[in-house]
Amino acid sequence: MIKLKINGEEVKAKEGEFIIDVAKKSSINIPHLCYNERLERIGACRLCVVEVKGMEKLQASCCTQVRDGMDINTHSPKVLDARRLNIQLLLANHDLNCTICKENLMCKVQKYASELMIEDSIFEDLERNEPPDNSSVSIRRDNNKCILCEQCVRICNDVQTVYAIGMAHRGVGTRITPNFNHNMKESSCINCGQCVVACPTGALTEKSDVQGVIDALNSDKFLIAQTAPSIRATLGELFGLPAGTPVTEKMVTALKQIGFDKVFDTDLGADITIIEEATEFIKRLKENKNLPLITTCCPAWIKFGEQFYYNELNKNMSTCRSPQAILASLVKTYYAKKINKDPKDIILVDIMPCTAKKYEILRPEFNGEADFVLTTVELAKLLKELNVDFLKLEDSEFDNPLGASSGAGDIFGRTGGVMEAALRTAADWLTKKDLKAIDYHSIRGMDEIKEAEIKIGKDKIKICVVHTMGAARKLLDQIKEGKSPYHFIEIMACYGGCIGGGGQPPSHNKEILKKRINALIKVDEKKKLRKSHKNPAATKLYKEYLGKPGSEKAHKLLHTKYSKKGYV
Amino acid sequence: MKILEKSSLQAWKKVKKLGPDKTIALLKKKGLTGRGGAGFSTGLKWELTRKTKADERFIICNADEGEPGTFKDKLLLEEAPENIIEGILIAAYCIKAKQAYIYLRGEYISLKQKLESTISNLVRNSKIKIDIIQGAGAYICGDETAIISSIENKRGYPHFKPPYPPQKGLYGKPTVINNVETLANVPLALTKKDWSDNLRLFSISGDVSKPGVYELKINSKLGQIAKLAKAKSPKAVYFGAAGGLIPYKPNLIINSENICKEEASLGSCSLIFVSKSRNILDLALNISQFFKHESCGKCTPCREGNVHVLKLLEKIKTNQASKQDIELLEKLSKTIRDTALCGLGQSCTNHVLTALNQFNKEFKTK
Amino acid sequence: MQKKEDRTYLLNQLRAIQNKHNSLPEKEIRSLSKKTNIPVVKIYEAASFYTQFNFKKKGKNTIRICNSPSCYLNGSLNIINEAKKLLKIDVNETTKNKKFSLELTSCIGCCNNPPALMLNDELITNITKPKLKKMLK
Repeated sequence: MIKLKINGEEVKAKEGEFIIDVAKKSSINIPHLCYNERLERIGACRLCVVEVKGMEKLQASCCTQVRDGMDINTHSPKVLDARRLNIQLLLANHDLNCTICKENLMCKVQKYASELMIEDSIFEDLERNEPPDNSSVSIRRDNNKCILCEQCVRICNDVQTVYAIGMAHRGVGTRITPNFNHNMKESSCINCGQCVVACPTGALTEKSDVQGVIDALNSDKFLIAQTAPSIRATLGELFGLPAGTPVTEKMVTALKQIGFDKVFDTDLGADITIIEEATEFIKRLKENKNLPLITTCCPAWIKFGEQFYYNELNKNMSTCRSPQAILASLVKTYYAKKINKDPKDIILVDIMPCTAKKYEILRPEFNGEADFVLTTVELAKLLKELNVDFLKLEDSEFDNPLGASSGAGDIFGRTGGVMEAALRTAADWLTKKDLKAIDYHSIRGMDEIKEAEIKIGKDKIKICVVHTMGAARKLLDQIKEGKSPYHFIEIMACYGGCIGGGGQPPSHNKEILKKRINALIKVDEKKKLRKSHKNPAATKLYKEYLGKPGSEKAHKLLHTKYSKKGYV
Repeated sequence: MKILEKSSLQAWKKVKKLGPDKTIALLKKKGLTGRGGAGFSTGLKWELTRKTKADERFIICNADEGEPGTFKDKLLLEEAPENIIEGILIAAYCIKAKQAYIYLRGEYISLKQKLESTISNLVRNSKIKIDIIQGAGAYICGDETAIISSIENKRGYPHFKPPYPPQKGLYGKPTVINNVETLANVPLALTKKDWSDNLRLFSISGDVSKPGVYELKINSKLGQIAKLAKAKSPKAVYFGAAGGLIPYKPNLIINSENICKEEASLGSCSLIFVSKSRNILDLALNISQFFKHESCGKCTPCREGNVHVLKLLEKIKTNQASKQDIELLEKLSKTIRDTALCGLGQSCTNHVLTALNQFNKEFKTK
Repeated sequence: MQKKEDRTYLLNQLRAIQNKHNSLPEKEIRSLSKKTNIPVVKIYEAASFYTQFNFKKKGKNTIRICNSPSCYLNGSLNIINEAKKLLKIDVNETTKNKKFSLELTSCIGCCNNPPALMLNDELITNITKPKLKKMLK
């Protein structure tokens, strides 16, 4: 145990802890821009400097470890002066048009400038005037707002191992860019948006589709919204609710209020994904062919696979569409027929946790089905713009026939959820029983790689659940080398799963992500219907329209194919 | 010069008889300190590195001499490469390193061939491998953690300390980083009876008639040095760029502590004399331009701050600066010094602060 | 971090490419990436940090004139202005016939024989206007 003083108060800490973390535990929040608990500490922004008695220079609290007897002042006049000056230096090399910036009122530099009571520019404006990179359908890059905190580069390279962007040149000319200054579309970017989550300013934001949706709502088309499993667990945060408060019913009402004719639940798409994927899995298991089967609900992972591992792994990837794509397909075929409308007169808006979904709906295999993707953050902005008093809304239910889902569909939004849902159905089908034990705790939790051996009847199924592409790469390399011991793998590109997606309220904080996951677990546990194949809405669709799971029609509408993707 | 006396592997033979522990003890006793500017006990550095448990350790010879006004290492690389190589072998042997690197700055590429042939002549039947890494034009790579980043194929960014290289250096392993002059001294310290740590190589240049490398005792008087190099009516002395400056004081005894008291830093003993006919403001501009160009860009105060230091100095030069501008320049310089990540940032504004303090008449407001 | 067996020294490999092509062409960097298993962007990050590497082709010969304090105090500005005049270009530009590129450099360790410059890899000292004129023919 180390004893030290912070701002005059005695504090205890463990050997090896850093000042910024010890201070946080004592409710002292030291300003920081480059520090992220999930990333390598670099001590670059120098905003977190503190005064340590006996040391002449100020110390960066994010990379200085505590020592016994340290006497620290985190907000002394010398420290505040230094912070103020360093923020002023950042502001002099920054686009100060906050009013027209997407990150307005959410930007960390704004927050600290305000807290430090900065009222004047004391340095000459360096007049950054670089054209933004709008090439990507998911992510907008504006270097005029970049403060070189390097979070995006660290997350893209160290955590996601995508290597789409890096630091170029030196000194004040340093820029974050794809290699050889190519644009994002040409780069190996997988659109996961983790960089957007990390970016403290408006330098990296999602590509906005809000105006397109407003225009659609004002048109005479038939408007349908579908909401992904994780939205119900995170949307509330953007209206001041504590993390992990499910807001399913209010979410549906809000969408209806702003003009959607029908609100369907992507969770039903998830149920159908499970029905198809469990069929696919059992077939491969019986034939002992093309194993391990890898789930393909995550478009960022799919792009990763198509770019880096296509030749080796195409055979392993499940051909099942993602839940959104399944429902979109059914909306424009089955449902359009049912309500006697030309699919061209229906506009489908996906409310998704994910910037990669903006890329997914434009895949040629899915073209013309979903029309727009709004992320959780965009939806909240839209609701606020249209004056929806979210917290005061009444509850509503999803619309039929594409609104009813099982708990298995809800848990798709968390790491391990797709696997659990699939096992519930596969286990029942393999044992030909209605099994009671349907909670697979061994694949829950925040470890990046979770593996387990599940006994189903006579079979011993080896499964693995990964989140973050860096962790996934280890499994993919294993498969590439022919050494994979698994039968079934779930891959999610975002830490925590979709609840931590690029379109979610930005946070890399483990506690917040856990709370969001628990919200989905509770939604699942509260439902009586917890198995996908028992969902009457799903079985009705097969009976009325699709035929049997894995049928030719099911394959045509509910499956897809992949192709090798190039990048610079 | 004594430093150019050839050791001819005598020290290497002696070291192999003594063994690593006794060699380190002898080196500590002789009192060899680092010549790169920090002045740390070389023997102690080797000892700390050797004591850190690891499956490999490294020696890096820092030949990235880049401090303006410094050219002593160049002399040694040209005239006494054998002593340097012998020093590297001894260092590697003492810390049980199998791999050594010479990080040779890109501008000294013309010295590479002689160095390579010296290595192949001297290093035979040894388990120790010495490779040359060619720098490519980055002053910051003279910083020890930046040199590590550079060899690890990354951008030459410095890293916060602790951890220090003897605990966690190249590839995360215990590493000794020694200056060229330090390593050249190792064989002489171990074998020459009259060797003294007080004899240093001074790089003297600027407004002098006889610029060059001078082998002088520490604690010499500044006036004596000025006389030797034939300084032309000096008014100030710069200690490289990072070392800051002092007004010329002929009776000042030159050692680290005394220079420190003058709010400057002796560093690797580079003295640039500036004559009375010069404008300190012009030199401040020149040196600020140097730091702006060489800043690695990692941390906010150095990256952004040096741009504005230069802008404010230019404002003063063109007679457009107000009193507030000069106050801002001083405040900015102090904040960069107090909050920058590495030695470059922490020392790059010392020359401005001294200039504002001691030569304020030249910094006119409009 | 690379495995011990795969340790490669990017600086030396980039130097070899720079020497061969007088630049670091994108194609060569992609080949290097495949060869070393280092992602292209990581090579680009490192290469773009150093002043002696360039991605776009420059003149056949690069002149780097030292402008650090010691040379500055011994006439570097005169030499720089003379070079601009003789080559009819500004600093950081290349002559029309692509024969010379002109740059400034930080201290190159020739402070005992100022002013000094680098002509490609060579350190040339005691520069005078006539010496410069001869060099730039």
